[in-house]
Amino acid sequence: MTGRGRYVADVVLPGMLHAAFLRSPHAHARIARVDVAAARQMSGVVAAVVAAELEAHVRPIIAASRMKGYKATPIPVLAGSKARYQGEALVAVVAESRYVAEDAVDAITIDYEPLPVVSDPRAAARDDSPFVHDEAGTNVIVSRAFAQGDVDAAIRDAAIVESDTFRFHRHAAVAIENRACTAEWDAGAERLTLWSSTQVPGMVRDGLAELLDIPVHAIRVVAPDVGGGFGMKSLLYPEEVAVCALARLLGRPVKWIGDRREDLLTSSQAWDEEIECELAIDADGAIRGLRARVLTDVGAYSMFPWTASIEAIQVISFLPGPYRVPHYRGEARGVTTNKAPMGPYRGVGRPVSTFVTEVLMDRVARRLGLDPADVRRKNFIGAADFPYRSPSGVVWDSGSFAESLDSACEAVGYDALRREQASGRSGGRRLGIGIASYVELTGVGSAIPASPGADISTGTEGATIRVDSGGSVTASFGVACHGQGHETTLAQVVAEELGARLEDVRVVHGDTAAGPIGSGTYASRSAVIGGGAAILASRALREKALAIAAHQLEADVHDLDFRAGVVAVRGAPDRRVTLREIARAAYAGAKRLPKGMEPGLEATRYYDPYFGTASNATHIAVVELDPALCDVKLVRYVVVEDCGRIINPLIVDGQAIGGVAQGIGAALLEEIVYGDDGQLLTGSLMDYLIPTAAEMPAIDVRHLEHPSPSTLGGFKGVGEGGTIGAPAAIANAVADALAPLGIGIRELPITPERLFRLLGAVPRHRAGA
Amino acid sequence: MKPPKFDYHAPASVDEALALLTRYGGDAKILAGGQSLMPLLNFRLTRPAALIDLNRIASLAYIREVGGYVHFGAMTRQRAIEFSPVVAKRVPLLTEATRLVGHLPIRSRGTIGGSIAHADPSAEYPAVLTALDGDVVVRSPKGESVLKPADFFETYLTTKLGADEILTEVRLPAMPPNTGYAFEEFSRRHGDFAIIGIAAMLSVAGTRCTSARLATAGAGPVPVRLRAAEQILESQGLGDAAIKAAAARAGELVEPDSDIHASAAYRRHLTSVLTERAVRRAIARVEERHGFPGALRASGGMGGPSRPPMTE
Amino acid sequence: MILTTVRLTVNGAPYEGRCEPRKLLVDFLREDLALTGTHVGCEHGICGACTVLVNGEAARSCLMLAVQADGAEIETVEGLMRDGKLHPLQQAFHEHHGLQCGFCTPGMLMTALDFLRTNPRPTEAQIREGLSAVLCRCTGYHGIVKAVEAAARELARDAR
Repeated sequence: MTGRGRYVADVVLPGMLHAAFLRSPHAHARIARVDVAAARQMSGVVAAVVAAELEAHVRPIIAASRMKGYKATPIPVLAGSKARYQGEALVAVVAESRYVAEDAVDAITIDYEPLPVVSDPRAAARDDSPFVHDEAGTNVIVSRAFAQGDVDAAIRDAAIVESDTFRFHRHAAVAIENRACTAEWDAGAERLTLWSSTQVPGMVRDGLAELLDIPVHAIRVVAPDVGGGFGMKSLLYPEEVAVCALARLLGRPVKWIGDRREDLLTSSQAWDEEIECELAIDADGAIRGLRARVLTDVGAYSMFPWTASIEAIQVISFLPGPYRVPHYRGEARGVTTNKAPMGPYRGVGRPVSTFVTEVLMDRVARRLGLDPADVRRKNFIGAADFPYRSPSGVVWDSGSFAESLDSACEAVGYDALRREQASGRSGGRRLGIGIASYVELTGVGSAIPASPGADISTGTEGATIRVDSGGSVTASFGVACHGQGHETTLAQVVAEELGARLEDVRVVHGDTAAGPIGSGTYASRSAVIGGGAAILASRALREKALAIAAHQLEADVHDLDFRAGVVAVRGAPDRRVTLREIARAAYAGAKRLPKGMEPGLEATRYYDPYFGTASNATHIAVVELDPALCDVKLVRYVVVEDCGRIINPLIVDGQAIGGVAQGIGAALLEEIVYGDDGQLLTGSLMDYLIPTAAEMPAIDVRHLEHPSPSTLGGFKGVGEGGTIGAPAAIANAVADALAPLGIGIRELPITPERLFRLLGAVPRHRAGA
Repeated sequence: MKPPKFDYHAPASVDEALALLTRYGGDAKILAGGQSLMPLLNFRLTRPAALIDLNRIASLAYIREVGGYVHFGAMTRQRAIEFSPVVAKRVPLLTEATRLVGHLPIRSRGTIGGSIAHADPSAEYPAVLTALDGDVVVRSPKGESVLKPADFFETYLTTKLGADEILTEVRLPAMPPNTGYAFEEFSRRHGDFAIIGIAAMLSVAGTRCTSARLATAGAGPVPVRLRAAEQILESQGLGDAAIKAAAARAGELVEPDSDIHASAAYRRHLTSVLTERAVRRAIARVEERHGFPGALRASGGMGGPSRPPMTE
Repeated sequence: MILTTVRLTVNGAPYEGRCEPRKLLVDFLREDLALTGTHVGCEHGICGACTVLVNGEAARSCLMLAVQADGAEIETVEGLMRDGKLHPLQQAFHEHHGLQCGFCTPGMLMTALDFLRTNPRPTEAQIREGLSAVLCRCTGYHGIVKAVEAAARELARDAR
């Protein structure tokens, strides 16, 4: 805010060079010949490295998984034999400046032999399709199903079956800071340091160790200030590996600052799915069963560490939503195509599953002549049902589903809105009200890995807390902040649990050399798992500090109060010691400590919440349609969410509203479009449209604060919910506005063009155009 | 995304700039506000041998009233136009259109000459120039010529401007009395290029529409003057039926292309919808000036009771 | 390589540097003058992260060449603080949670500054329209809009 932030681009090292990559202009092509001679001769160019040269120094990236029906696809750091998507890096140029590096890229000539492009996921899944990875022998690299009960019978016997094929188009995270990294190799100490704009410094470190054959202790990964990530920066990218290999090869620091074109071409993309779904309902509106088939376009590669399964598996895991679904089957397939690889993006799978389920719930209501809110109330998992094992095997520990719906209806003035809508209709005003209720698993522990089968630990995090000789507190974490305000929230947790003053607590994160072993920040986990570790370590320290204070004050521990950095005898406030005095004694040794106590005032604890905990919310969107322009205006937006015990309300609101903004973008504006030839048609921010302040309504966020029964501190995760609820709520609102015309929504985003086509299918006079 | 190498010249006069253009024989590009050219350079979609920067030619930035016209030096910033009281009074359609050009930080640098010469058919200024049938002044080593918009715009991003020519001035006629105007636009987000934009200006005398001017943005390779739709209003008046007929005709007059944001069919549809809205808002503005809300619509229809609006 | 001398003032202080004519103003500020508060987000004028004031008016520094700024007065986010005190806009961003990752913030602040100078008493809708010049992906703009509303009040009070 004052210009003193330090992002990767701001890191300047002596002798530093700049990298640029020659990227494939073709979506699928064999590389016949590469000529870098002219580039190498240019003034200011230090190296132009082709795949064959790099292969000797680094292994391909492989996202392994034990999951049945999964096939890994090795990602070459530079592609040598063939390019599998437009933008894939083929040659690395290192030069004195980025300008010169780009000139050198222009001077490279490559002969390509274009191959048939795999772009349509349905066609890709067929046996007669060309393969993106010949070694895999198929494009279907993910194939998995969850089932419970007899869903076929449930559908056969149901009073009503609502079914449709839904399409959620491809999206991109678009962090305002593009991906970027800078590597430095210390040849004397044989140590590697990588500054990277990443959410997962721990995972990047572990990945680099493997690929570059360097011990983990010789690698330091620093995520300094990170300009947004949203899941897209929770993967190990080829460029991160490349700059490390190049720095080691050249003996000089190498910096790569991705530009927006590279971001849109090569950063992970998301949510590209087709879902065939049938919802079986009894005559009274109760859900009997749900059957779904999901086809996910995973792009050209399965990325480390999450693998290509994460998106599709999340969809079939969470399609049943916050409802009792006795019979269920969800089948997911992930197919490779010649597009940028897919990765996790805020919400992962659940914006899609919530869209499908919630749209179907509204259709059930319409068909039965019930209010959409009432159909949900009838089917919610109730308080008596917890812990509830969902048909996909997820355990919901708690939830305030009906309460959040009731509260959201009250906040938005639901009944009055319905009246306004009815009276407006006669005057030609097309108001739509859309509800979306959802439940999400957050703070996922080791019981259900964030990416099932993947060879990584996502269920634990550590905290190291040290009270130094001056009485100030340093709390180090493996989680990494990219705008969530961990400095504030985790410091609050430590100060409160330990008894220190908030201003005395410094949080260190995003540096693998400074913190305990950990992976990073993703999947709405940091408050829950990082916070839990902070509580455990703080409590251990508090206990020790109290024991020392009791010794110093010659008092019983049970008679002591410890808050704001001072321990005092209850009832005798002048008998007190400060945390500083306690710390000095702790480091002074045996003479000043209780008998047998180990010196020092530092603790490291790890936390595993095991199942994780459920966060839930209801969103209500109110839209007004302009059927002539085919335009959707958001006029109201209400979120009532339960994220457990709230550490900092301003930060929780910020996460919720920021998430909703991305959900609004997903529902109305944003879409990554590829041509049939695999060419990206949305390669700039003039074509990939994220919401501006002018497209955002004021958003009313309210909280239900039911502490989690199963996590330390009662926290629930809050990072993704906004994005999960918004696409569904907006889809339902638009469908509600269109309902008198008999038009439904089955495809997101609802662009003006799609609305035009939908409205074109009804007579003009009815549409009011 | 860094620009490729180029020679850079910042001449102090138009003559100097013309000499440089001649010297590079078509390999140089003129740099005006840079809001369109710089992105193309950063993407390396254009690789001129030289940039000839007009930003140091102070004599190209002015707004002057000359006779019934307002003259704009080519390097007049859109921001200067936005806040100009002269423009607000004499060519208010341009003021309204200017607020739709990108965002304020874009308009700080963007120029009227640059926008017209760049000839993006989705841009607002070419539509205004076309609707008002203004003049484009072009200097070449041989001298000065004045072109009409229909003769100036050739196709996407292409004009009659020769490799050795510079657009130096844009002239727009001042709005006559008894005239209303509106710029209606639909874009995906605030500040984006128009999917369709309609510039409208209507002059009335009594209950008659003496002159209707309608032009498009985004409806094809060049801005389109919707003459047949204008004629409906001029011959049939400003009643509901005439407005609807003109709007329907407008949609038939354009040959838009499809892109990822909108199909040709949708653009044609929007052309009709926005023409109707622009005409209605322009009419409302005339009525506002005459203090008779609804007067024209009540009177301008098919033989309804007429009540002459006051003249200024 | 032909280098050109660029002399300009940034936040009131004179600077001089030599660079290629093709060097973007934002890169000149960041690399040659080590003023890294101004950020690069898209290099095609859409995201607004690089917005600075050029002779008092907000402009994209990714769409200007450094040589074009020769003789100009540039203001960047680094110049907002005075005497160790946050500018009222910065103070308001802090109080209203107007930033999360902070990457768009420099451009947002400079855009808001120019916007409030041209429109000192804006409505919420006008603020949203004015700020639509800068993309933020974290906040949903809620805190930013609130902050600009608050700063407008504060600056109006100062002006009186």
